[in-house]
Order: sequence, then C-alpha cells, then structure tokens
Amino acid sequence: MASTPLSSDSKHGGHSHVQPVWLLFGNMLWLMILLMVTWWASTFDFGNVVINNVVAMLIATIKAVFVIWIFMGVMHASKLAKIWVVAGFGFLFLMFGILGDYATRQFEPVSGWETNVPNGGASSFPRQWPPQKKPEQVGENFRPRG
Amino acid sequence: MAAIASDHGHGHGHDEALHHQFENMEQQNDSYIVGMWTFLVTEVMFFGALFLIYTLYRSMYQMDWYLAHEALNVQMGMVNTFVLLFSSFTVAMAVRYAQLQKKWGVLSMLAITQVCAGAFMVVKYFEYQEKFGHHLYPGPGFGSHPEYLHGATPNFAQLYFGLYFGMTGLHGLHVLVGMIVIGYLMAKWWRNSPMVTKDYIPTELVGLYWHFVDLVWIFLFPLMYLMPKP
Amino acid sequence: MSAIPADPNVTAVSATPRTETNYLNADWSIKSWLLTGDHKRIAILYLVSVSFFFFLGSIAAGLIRYELTAPAGFILESETYNKVFSAHGIIMVFLFLIVAIPAILGNFLLPLMIGARDMAFPRLNLLSWYLFMIGGACIMGGMINGGVDSGWTFYVPYSSMYANSNVTMVLTGIFIAGFSSITTGINFIVTTHKMRAPGMTWFRLPLMVWALYATGVVIILGTPVVAVTLLCIIFERVFHLPIFSAELGGDPVLFQHLFWFYSHPAVYIMILPAFGVQSELIANFARKRVFGYHLIAFSSLAIAGLGFLVWGHHMFISSESMYQGVVFSLISFLVAIPSAIKVFNWTATLYKGNIRLQTPMIYALGFIGLFTIGGLTGLFLGCLGTDVHLTNTYFIVAHFHYVMVGGAVTAFLGGLHYWWPKMTGRLYPESIAKWNAVLVFIGFNLTFFPQFIVGFMGMPRRYHYYYFAPEFQPYHIMSTLGSSVLALSFIIPGLYLTRSLSKGAKASANPWGAHGLEWETSSPPPTSNFDQIPVVLDEVYDFDPVTEHEQDKAAQALEVPSYLSNEAKSAESEKEKR
Repeated sequence: MASTPLSSDSKHGGHSHVQPVWLLFGNMLWLMILLMVTWWASTFDFGNVVINNVVAMLIATIKAVFVIWIFMGVMHASKLAKIWVVAGFGFLFLMFGILGDYATRQFEPVSGWETNVPNGGASSFPRQWPPQKKPEQVGENFRPRG
Repeated sequence: MAAIASDHGHGHGHDEALHHQFENMEQQNDSYIVGMWTFLVTEVMFFGALFLIYTLYRSMYQMDWYLAHEALNVQMGMVNTFVLLFSSFTVAMAVRYAQLQKKWGVLSMLAITQVCAGAFMVVKYFEYQEKFGHHLYPGPGFGSHPEYLHGATPNFAQLYFGLYFGMTGLHGLHVLVGMIVIGYLMAKWWRNSPMVTKDYIPTELVGLYWHFVDLVWIFLFPLMYLMPKP
Repeated sequence: MSAIPADPNVTAVSATPRTETNYLNADWSIKSWLLTGDHKRIAILYLVSVSFFFFLGSIAAGLIRYELTAPAGFILESETYNKVFSAHGIIMVFLFLIVAIPAILGNFLLPLMIGARDMAFPRLNLLSWYLFMIGGACIMGGMINGGVDSGWTFYVPYSSMYANSNVTMVLTGIFIAGFSSITTGINFIVTTHKMRAPGMTWFRLPLMVWALYATGVVIILGTPVVAVTLLCIIFERVFHLPIFSAELGGDPVLFQHLFWFYSHPAVYIMILPAFGVQSELIANFARKRVFGYHLIAFSSLAIAGLGFLVWGHHMFISSESMYQGVVFSLISFLVAIPSAIKVFNWTATLYKGNIRLQTPMIYALGFIGLFTIGGLTGLFLGCLGTDVHLTNTYFIVAHFHYVMVGGAVTAFLGGLHYWWPKMTGRLYPESIAKWNAVLVFIGFNLTFFPQFIVGFMGMPRRYHYYYFAPEFQPYHIMSTLGSSVLALSFIIPGLYLTRSLSKGAKASANPWGAHGLEWETSSPPPTSNFDQIPVVLDEVYDFDPVTEHEQDKAAQALEVPSYLSNEAKSAESEKEKR
C-alpha cells in the first residue's frame, strides 16, 4: 500500500492537500457549537422580528462558510472553483430580486386589489368579488386621481 | 499535508487513472473538481428557488406560519442536524483516507456515513409518520384535527406544510441518492477497483455532494424548525 | 459532380483517396455508436434525434397554419387546437431550439476549435444524449396520450389544477431534458476552461467558443430554476402539495416569475450559439478578421448576464408591480445593446471584405437582416406602453419567430452547411443549396411578416378562430402560403444533405479555405481529433488582406486555389496540364 499521498505538482497550486485530522475534527466540533448557538438564538428574542431572522440566517451562513471552506476543501481549491462558489451563491441572491415585485406592489393602489386585506394580499385574485365599483370610478384598474 | 511532486504530472499519461482526453493528472483532477462545483451551483439554484418561495410566503403569513411550525419536533430536527454534521466529518475523513490510499480507513468512514444517513432517514420517517397521523399532510383531510394546527389558519398552514414536505422530501431524496452513490463507492473500494484506489477524485466528488446535502439542511433546519416569533 | 462552390476556379474535392480511419468508419457496430464517448459521434446522434423532433414540431406548425386560414375553426376544435400549439411550442423550444446548435454544432466543434482531443467529460456527454432521448420520449408519450393544452408556458392554476392528466408526463419529460441541457452546459464550461491547446489563450479563441461558453453559463444558472418550478407543478398535481394555489393564499404570479426567470435566459441559450456560428460564417466568408473581436466576446457574456435581469418583461400585464415593470423595461432596452453591437460588428466585418456568396454566407446575411427585425420588434414589446397593446397578439408570435427561426434556425442551417464537409466528409450540392437558402428567406418572410401586421391589428395569439375580425383572413392566408414555402425549404436540405452522405463528393480537409483549428484536421476528423495537439501561435481570424489578395491573384493565374492541400494542388495542376 503506498504511503505517499496522491497529489499533484505543488508548483501548480497543490490543491490536493491532505487535510489533517485535527482540522476536520475541530471544524466539526465548531459546527456543533454553532448549532447550539443556532438553537439558543431561536429561543432568545432580540426585540425585533427582523433582527431575529437576520441573526438566524447569519449563524446559518457562518456554518455554511465553514462547511464550504474546510469540509469541501475550497480552502485548497483552484481559483476557478473559488470563483464558482462565490458566483453560485451570489447568483442566488439575484434570483431573490423576484421578491422586488411583491415589495413594490402596494406602491400603486388599485381599487379592489388592495394588499392589506385578510387574505394576505399578494394573490392576484381581487379581494372583493364582484369588485365594488364606486360611482365616480371609470372602470376597473383605474388609479384614482386627486 | 505534503504536496509531493508526482512523477506523472507532465503529459506522459502513463498513470492508469488518467483518462484519454486529459494530458496530465492535474488537469484531470482540476477538471473534475470544477465540473462538480458547476453541478453544485445548479443544485444551489435548484433548492434556491424553493427557498425563494418559502421566503415570500413566510413574509406574507408570518404569524400563521409561526403557529403552524410548532407542530414540528425540534428535538428530532436537532438530532438530524447533528447526525448530518457528523456524517460530513466522516465523509471528509474518508476523502482524506482516499488521498492516503488507505482502503480500510475509507471503508470504515464511508460505513459510518451510511449509518448516519440511514439514521437521518429513519428519524425523518418517524417525523413524517407523526405528521400524517395528525392529518397535517396537505389535501382534503388537512386540518381535520385542528389542535395540531396550533391556531394557524388552515389555508396558510397548508402552504407551510406543502413547502415543508416539498423541501424536506426533496432533500430526503438527495440523501437517498447520496446513500446509493456512497454504497456504489464502497463497493468499488471493497473490490479494490483502480478507479478509486489509484485516484482519490471519485471519493472527493462524492464527498462534495454529501457536504452539499448537509449545507441544504443547515439552512432548512432553522427556517423550518426554529422560526422566531413574529 | 457536386463541388463547392460552383465557381470553376475553386474546387474543394479531396484528391487523396479516403483510406485513413476517421471517427465515422472507425467502428461500424451499433454498440460503438450507442456507447460512444466521442463528442463527434454524440453530435451526430443529436443531429438525427433533433431533426426528428423538428419534423414533428413542424407538423404541429403546419396544422396551426392550416387551421388559421379560415376565420372560424374548421379542421380543429378549440381544445385540439390548444393541444397543437402547445405541442408545437414544447417540442420546438425544449426539444429543438435549446438543443440544436449547442448540442450538435457545439458538441462537434468545441474540442476541435480549442485543440482538445475530446470534451472534459465524454461519458457525461453521452448521458446528456440519453437524458435528452428519455425526456423526448416522455414528452412524446404525453403527446401521443392526448397532449397538453396549457401552452408551453404551463401557467398555473390551469396546469396545476384544471388541465388534463398528461401535464405530469410532459413535465417529467421537460424536467429530464433540462438535465440533459445542464450536463451539456457543465461540459462546455469545464472544457473551455481546462482543455485548451497550448497557446490558445482566451482572446485567441474562435468567437463560437466564447458563445458556447456564455451559453453554458446561462444553462447552469437558469435551467435548475425552471426544473424545480415544473417540479412544483408535479408536486401540486401528484402529491397535492399546494405551492401556487390561490385559494390557499398562494400566488400564481410567482410561478410566472420563476418560469420566466429561466425561460427568458433560455432564449439566450437559443440565440447565443447562433451568434457564435454567425461570427464564424461572416469572418470566413468575408475573408476578414471579425471587426471588434473583444467587443463581440464580451457582449456574449453581457447578454448572458443581463439576460437574467429581464424576465419580467413577459409579465407586464400579469399584475406584477408597475415599478418593477419599469425596471424590467429599462434593462430590456439595455440588453438589446450587446446584440446590436454584434450586428454592427458583423456588418463592419463585411465592409471591404472579400465576400464569397456561398450557401452558408447567404444564411449568414439573411440572419443579420432577420435577427435585426426580430430584435427591434422586441424593443417595441419591451416598452411598457406599447406592450400593453401588443402583448398576447400575433405581434409577439412574429417577433419571437423572427429571432428564433430567422435567427437561430437560419444560423443552424448556415452552420450545418458550413461544417457539413467537416462532419461528414462530403460536399453537398452547392447550387441547389444556394437557391434553397434564398427560398428559406422568402418563405420565412412571407410566413411571419404578415403576422406582425395582423398582430398589430389585434389578432390574439393562441386563438384558433377570428370570426370577430374576418378582415384578418388575407394575412393569415398569406402566412400559411409562406409556411408551405418554408416547409418545402426545410425539406429540401433534409433531402440533399442526406443524399450527399452517399453521393456527395469527398471533401478535403479545408474546402472553404477557412481559418480555425477544426480545419487543420481531416474531413471527417479521426476519433482523436488531431494527430498531434496543435500549438497555437496567433489568433484564429488571422486573415491578412494583402496575403488574401495575393493568394487570390496567384490562384487565378494557376487556376488552382491556394488553399487546397498539396496533393490536391498537384492533382489539379496535372488535370490542367492535360
């Protein structure tokens, strides 16, 4: 059985480092600790619902970074692999731009399609059916002027 | 942590693990790692779309979703998370042993990983069984025992459970596929196939996939099980 | 005797007898074809299967056009018509356009153009073809079983709740075909990064490679989103998991967001490789370096990037927020800029070029005109105010057919003709092909230009009757006549290309005198692509006008073209002496 590790020329970056046991085990312990922190943070109210969620996602992101950096070996990976990791997750945030539609809908009030109604408001189904028409309105989906 | 210069890195291709389209092992290894990461990027977008749907609906129905999520068993979720984190460690150890060409190290670590994955699936089975028993699976019978809804509006709770089963189901499917692939890898190591003994990359690629499965769960767990009160 | 071109000064026929083994005759067994890892064989497998699906999609198109010649429905009922246009859309988008140029020309050419022996992952490449076939079989199974009538866009809640049961089968097929696309994309990206020959730096690459790389990036980032979105519909239908259900508080528009998040970049998957082919054709048939190489290369990446930011322009009237609509409209105008840069650069390449009007060039010139029309009409649609009037009319149908058929299919035909000698080692009959190219152009315009007019006048899309507006009928009849001509012009190449496989003259390594690594190897290439991996010293479009002119003059003097191989030259001079 060969005792020399399978690795390629160190001149080209040496990306196939054999990771030492202490690093892997330590990483796992650290992740377990972060897991307990996650649980604790979920029970602790930071006062603001936004802050609560931000803290939870922040801890999850830190855990993810450690998994990616150490367990998945990105620490030793080529530059291209690193770029792909950043680009991939970064691109995901781009897709969250879809939420912009929902965030900006209430800027344009349309009678019968209000958003702060019992059924939640993001559905494109009109709230009142049939829509209640006020006498001075000129047809549906008409933005009241003045 | 040595990066020893190999004697097959300069284009002669006598390494039996070198495939015909590559000039040297370094190009081959790099290509496989980049290729696997490209695939993982697709998986990020795949699960990411589901996380997007989750984000939207949760922001719309915060209270109902908080109430509905109380039906989930946090302890079981914690056990699952521990198990997956541990399995991530064992599969990283397996990759390490593969690089050192230590067959029994690889096999033992992969076996532990399989056990962890199996434990995850078993816990998941019990969780699902509990949900079905409480009529929390979306459909006609949903909410027939309203006490399990914890006061959430049944319609919005159905959305929550729809996403719960969809996302954890898809994740569980990935775990199952991972188990099959790890089993196949173990079979290759068992038989001393040169595909794995002379080349650590297949083991590394399986490891990358498994870490990704763990990554998804790292995000899924707090979002599904540990919602802060709105 | 079929030679390219008809010009008597030039022949492209191989003078040496075909004794060497190439990738086609290396092994004749079925197993060697079905289990091949050779990217060239996989390209041929794709060619056969994609042509078959194109034929099926065309039949659906023919039915649509025939039905629309009368104001009231006369051969199809409403529901059947819905199934027919859905079939046309699904087959053409998912089984033809997404696949054709990348999987056929891209698979064949990418390793050759960068000087590699194969793709980075040959077995993954083969898997890609099998996934495509399985996906295609599922889709066709759904069609045979009765089809779907939801349109290729599968909007909810119709497709998730009210449509017939074949939706699940067809969506499964699309899901699997999506993974075929993803594996192709992975191969393109890794191969371009890792397998270039020594000296082949990024800016020495042919523009086709840049285009294929950008396509790969778009595939990787976009396809999984539509895969999971369609999976959500399957969840809703089969597993009763509500995700877009409006009654329960879900949002059907969210489906549209997620669907178009992929499907708009998907159209760039269809057109970017066509741009790549176009750059190759223009450069080699104008015998001139492409004007603005860097701009074209970066514009491919810009289109790939910006293309992900414009999906909302398909949803202007779907109750999406007007403020987002404004943003999408603005970015849609911005994404037209890189495409326009390309068109300007190609036109500038033609200027003072030594233009050879052979078949691929006719397709390429047609592309410039037709794609420009399609692109400009896209701007009318990207503008919020006009889109409200034009959306869901035949104006949109005409727009996307101009870019898809006038653009992508024209480029596909041009590329197929250009690389046909390389792929098959045979020459096709140039004179028939040239006239056919003109016929494509005529038939295409006759089919789709009236649709702009009738769409502007208000003809809705996806309607099989228009009895409320019988004045539309002349336009529809003109369009159907055009489609008959177009159909003929698609059948004819099928016939002569197939015939050339046995009856065509054998091609030399470089019948066009073109530049590029793929022309440095024999036609057809050996299985390992090159006898020796080339070392690249200069960029690919190293046409030197002075040298070109001198070569032309010398060739005319000797009546022997300069770019023939030496043996062919001596054979030709022998012939001349006799």
